[in-house]
Amino acid sequence: MELLLFDGFNGLIQGAFYALMALGLSLIISLNSVINFAHGGFMVVGAYLAFTLAPYIGFWPALFAGPILAGILGILVERTLVRSMYGRSDPIYSLLLTFGFALIIEDVVRTIWGAQGVPFEIPAALGSPVSTTYFFLTGYRLFVIAAIGLATIALFAFLRLSRFGIRIRAGILDLETVSALGVNVYLLRSVNFAIGTLLAGFAGVLAAGVLQLAPTMGDDVIMATFVAVVVGGIGSLFGSVLGGLLIGLAAGITTAYYPAASDVVIYVIMAVVLIVRPRGLLGQEGLFE
Amino acid sequence: MSLLRLTDVSRAFGKLLALQHVELEMEEGKLYAVIGPNGAGKTTLFNLISGFFPATSGEIWFDGMRINRIDAARRVALGLVRTFQITEIFPELTVFENVRIGVEAEARCSARPWPSRGLLRQIGDRVDELLDTTGLTAQAGRTVSELAHGDQRVVEVTMALSRRPKLLLLDEPTAGMGQEETAHMVTLIRDLHARQRQSILFIEHDMDLVFGIADRITVLNYGKVLAAGTPQEVAADPLVQAAYLGEAA
Amino acid sequence: MSRRVYVNGAVWLLLLTAAWWLPLIGGYMALASRVLVYALAAMGLNLLLGFTGCMSFGEAAYFGLGGYGTGLFLTHLTHSTVLAVVAGTIVGGIAAFIFGPLVMRRRGIYFAMITVAIGQIFYFIAERWNSFTGGEDGLSGFSRQPLHFGFATVPLNAVAFYYFVLFFFAIGAGVIALLLHSPLGHTFVAIRENRRRAQFLGIHVERYVWASFAIAGLIAGLAGALNALQNNFISPINLYWVESGNLVIMAVLGGMRSFWGPLVGAIIFVGIQDYVSSYFPNNWETFIGGLFIIAVMFFPNGILGIIRQRAKAA
Repeated sequence: MELLLFDGFNGLIQGAFYALMALGLSLIISLNSVINFAHGGFMVVGAYLAFTLAPYIGFWPALFAGPILAGILGILVERTLVRSMYGRSDPIYSLLLTFGFALIIEDVVRTIWGAQGVPFEIPAALGSPVSTTYFFLTGYRLFVIAAIGLATIALFAFLRLSRFGIRIRAGILDLETVSALGVNVYLLRSVNFAIGTLLAGFAGVLAAGVLQLAPTMGDDVIMATFVAVVVGGIGSLFGSVLGGLLIGLAAGITTAYYPAASDVVIYVIMAVVLIVRPRGLLGQEGLFE
Repeated sequence: MSLLRLTDVSRAFGKLLALQHVELEMEEGKLYAVIGPNGAGKTTLFNLISGFFPATSGEIWFDGMRINRIDAARRVALGLVRTFQITEIFPELTVFENVRIGVEAEARCSARPWPSRGLLRQIGDRVDELLDTTGLTAQAGRTVSELAHGDQRVVEVTMALSRRPKLLLLDEPTAGMGQEETAHMVTLIRDLHARQRQSILFIEHDMDLVFGIADRITVLNYGKVLAAGTPQEVAADPLVQAAYLGEAA
Repeated sequence: MSRRVYVNGAVWLLLLTAAWWLPLIGGYMALASRVLVYALAAMGLNLLLGFTGCMSFGEAAYFGLGGYGTGLFLTHLTHSTVLAVVAGTIVGGIAAFIFGPLVMRRRGIYFAMITVAIGQIFYFIAERWNSFTGGEDGLSGFSRQPLHFGFATVPLNAVAFYYFVLFFFAIGAGVIALLLHSPLGHTFVAIRENRRRAQFLGIHVERYVWASFAIAGLIAGLAGALNALQNNFISPINLYWVESGNLVIMAVLGGMRSFWGPLVGAIIFVGIQDYVSSYFPNNWETFIGGLFIIAVMFFPNGILGIIRQRAKAA
């Protein structure tokens, strides 16, 4: 039972990361019509930048600086590369573009910081378990879950309440009309892309404290993120969160019973969802079919 | 027996009632028209008949069969073939290749990976015959995206004819055309009807064009049938005059 | 028409005489075999990508499965190299056939996402099922066996293996060419050009997407089988999504709309990979990634697409 709790809790954390990644990816898919293959790359960049800055500016500032820098990198990439793809009717080009960029990020990170994993120091106050029975409940892990929860709520509040957020949501529904109403669609898409990569960077910093930093950490997460988006329903932000949590938990629980299958189980869930409910858990009917 | 019969057909999009309680009946060999102002539900009607989306309620009968639950591709095999208001063709293929897709589907050999020479010749002959019918022979080798708009529409009609439709559905066949092109299309429609007894149901918003050639006209307005009958009856209908002709006058 | 005959004649002549001219320009036969293997996989993929208009990003799965099929067949069942190739091909084809219905209704980027995710299933199975697949370390311990003809036994050294690969490449390319000139191929292209029109001409689009997916998987399986024999080794990395991306970029780089595009793309990709990885062994991914971006930004129609446009303009 304790093992199940342990693996289940690990799964929950894993799921929270997937959810945060999927949320950013979903935003970018919906408004920029781009599958960002480099999403894992932005996560890694955010994590490593925070790792590099932390000794100078401290853990807490680095926690924010890393993601913000990932967001800035996102804007740069969107403006220089992704933007020129919007006019192309075949989406294959933007896909290949971000794909190539993902390869470059991984290579550059490996060159700068080395192929070996490095540990990310977290404040001692957060490092110790809060309970001796449940040794896996460290302060940091609880903090991660709370931080991801807060970030998610903040994002949804931003999309519902702020003028810019409402425009993003309107743009997702009907970009042409929003453009006709005089909204600067280019800016909207740039900022949206940056928000997506910022969320990826945030996931990266948080993940770095749980696992350790490695150039390939984005590779493994990006596929799970895709699965989360498909399971939750393409086009639905809530769905992405739900999908991420669900597959994370499923992977965690599977680890308790049959560890070898823990990687495969999320794909099995995806296959089942595609058969039983092709639009995903919260996806709209008929959309994208 | 009627070729097409719609009884009490409605379609809602969320709260929007695009079509309400529509009745329509059409006999074989006739040329019928559906008219109405923009947003009256004409294209929605075609989408229901052709299987683009299902009706919310009501029954659609074609050639003695209830087709409500039959998917679009199978309706084509039953003989219900349509064109679209915004021309739908295979843009990077030649005129010949466009029509060939339909001919191969009609010959039930679309899935054949290794056809016999005899079959290929038969297919080619049939394509030539169709191009001749609609006057496209000279354009056969040209890529359709390079053709004039009017010719592209004729290509689409030719493709539809390649499936030997029992009922040909034409969605605003003259939309966006100049005078000459329109005249050509009207002649084509009239010829198909007169010479080959092709049953045709078409949508049009140009009243004058319809009155010249249609056997019967159904007028739609705000998703409802406002009037139906011969062109004379419809023209004399006070409701139609108020809602439609009055506007134009 | 006649231009096509010349082009085809030239391509086959160059491929057949590669053993003579390749060493003269500094190439080696194993490299040529690798080009053919990837070209074949990319041509199969292009049937789906360039001719049916479905963005498959999971083709490496069927490529890798073909390799595992062949490797396991040689390890456990037979010493016939040819039979092992057939087995690998069938494994790739069957897997694609089984998973086709999951993707056949999807379009655009969603087709890409789901194909790439499905591909990962096989990657993890290969990586985790140690006892059967050799796990992370890959499957080794099999090797291509000499071919036995009635009158002679031919060991598959580098040159002989190149012609062995060329033989299967010719079969694969021939099948694709025949297909593209058949009603089935016409239907694939019609779906690429306009799904809605195809559907409203009575074509059951999904079934054809499924067929195209299965055929592409079959050909990827064949290429994967040859790949396993080329290296006498197969590892999960051959199933990984990065490999799928490599196959896509080969097709795009050469020209998705051209029959020989993927071959041209494979020559460039494998050539650059070979060159860069020997001079910059640590950073060749940056070059490949840069190649992706340059290709997408400046050569969206591929090398052959550009040549064709020039020819048309002239």
